Amino acid sequence: MRADALAADEGPGVSLLRFYARLLRAQKKVDDALGVTPPTGVLEADVGIVLESGVDLLRTVSEAGPQPLAAQARELMDGSASVCEARLLTYWRDRSDRSFFGKALLQPYAERLTRDEAGPIAGASIAGDNMCPRCGGAPQLSILDGGGAAATDGGARYLQCATCLARWVFRRVVCPSCGNEDERTLGYYQSAVFAHVRVDACDRCGRYIKSIDLTRLGLAVPLVDEVAAAPLDLWAQEHGYEKIALNLVGL
Amino acid sequence: MPISRRAFLQGSIAGGAALSAFGFDVAPVQAQAKTLKIGRTSETRSTCPYCSVSCGVIIHTLGDRAKNAIPQVVHVEGDPDHPINRGTLCPKGSSLQQEILNDRRLLKPQVRRPGSDHWEDIDWDRAVDEIARWVKKTRDASFIATDSRGRVVNRCESIAWTGGCTDTNELNYLVVKTMRSLGVVGLENQARV
Repeated sequence: MRADALAADEGPGVSLLRFYARLLRAQKKVDDALGVTPPTGVLEADVGIVLESGVDLLRTVSEAGPQPLAAQARELMDGSASVCEARLLTYWRDRSDRSFFGKALLQPYAERLTRDEAGPIAGASIAGDNMCPRCGGAPQLSILDGGGAAATDGGARYLQCATCLARWVFRRVVCPSCGNEDERTLGYYQSAVFAHVRVDACDRCGRYIKSIDLTRLGLAVPLVDEVAAAPLDLWAQEHGYEKIALNLVGL
Repeated sequence: MPISRRAFLQGSIAGGAALSAFGFDVAPVQAQAKTLKIGRTSETRSTCPYCSVSCGVIIHTLGDRAKNAIPQVVHVEGDPDHPINRGTLCPKGSSLQQEILNDRRLLKPQVRRPGSDHWEDIDWDRAVDEIARWVKKTRDASFIATDSRGRVVNRCESIAWTGGCTDTNELNYLVVKTMRSLGVVGLENQARV
């Protein structure tokens, strides 16, 4: 796995990557369970499968997560199922990138729904082309993917949903948060250390999103490389920018 | 009381431990962030000047607009959102960065004298004087006021003009005005974009 390979470098973000690798494996178990018992699309009916298969995820967080998350994971494991269900249903109705467990447990569920259905999933409210066309979620990251033969072929831009991980095409020189198209107030920040990752920032709304440039590194796995480039988040936040959606390590 | 992400992070750092919003220790990551040399690049959409296809391009310019920093074009790529080329560029368009940054660019006028095998520098005043003198001499010697049937044509067939594809619209306007006033009919430019 890409996360394991990056963690093997023992760089400054190794603890984040190790945790994220374990979390992804736990999410895979939820996805596998939903493969055996396909979701109905109504979370009230599907939440039982998610919680049952998500026990490993909670255990992983209780073992490898930071103290506040580990304590919450233990609470959820020891508490009644109805509390967990209520928590997931609340997240599903009012999604927030600050809700770690809602996002982590329901990402495989939402991904399974959007993978299986052609159009928007039931109940999705899609406010604009900067929101996921399948579930209405905010973008987690941006991907530049050329697909062309020449190095100078421009990479098309995709946004990846923070909720269901679906990808959709989005224009290049536009802020995915406020829609700003003024090239003078848009820019990206980049370091040679993470040559295939850039911080796309908007000076009008003060928000940013990280772009993974697959035309520079085809081996990159956007979700993982986004976490691996955590120093860029710290840099951006210290320079006054706010991320559109926090990732699962809270950056 | 709601706490913004930024305030949370700053508060965590001020408290002695750098923590992410979910409580991960990001002190090593923060230490690395301080060592990074990070530059700002802006993307500007434009049109390739080379031919009438008018492909869309994105020009990447490194520089934070600080007064002591000189913006530098670091990359030119096809615009994937442009309906004409959808991100692709021909070999000539792919070399656009070299059209902008090129140490072989001529920065002063040069002249190759009749019979000479090389170009030599010439200053602007002298170049303009010589061009004016040769244009007048050539035009006076070969000007055709009427054709063989006596019709007024006011042609100058011994001078021709050809313009480059990166000439600006404004330059091409002046070229046409000047050449037409001289009676030049052999006139071509690349004002198609």
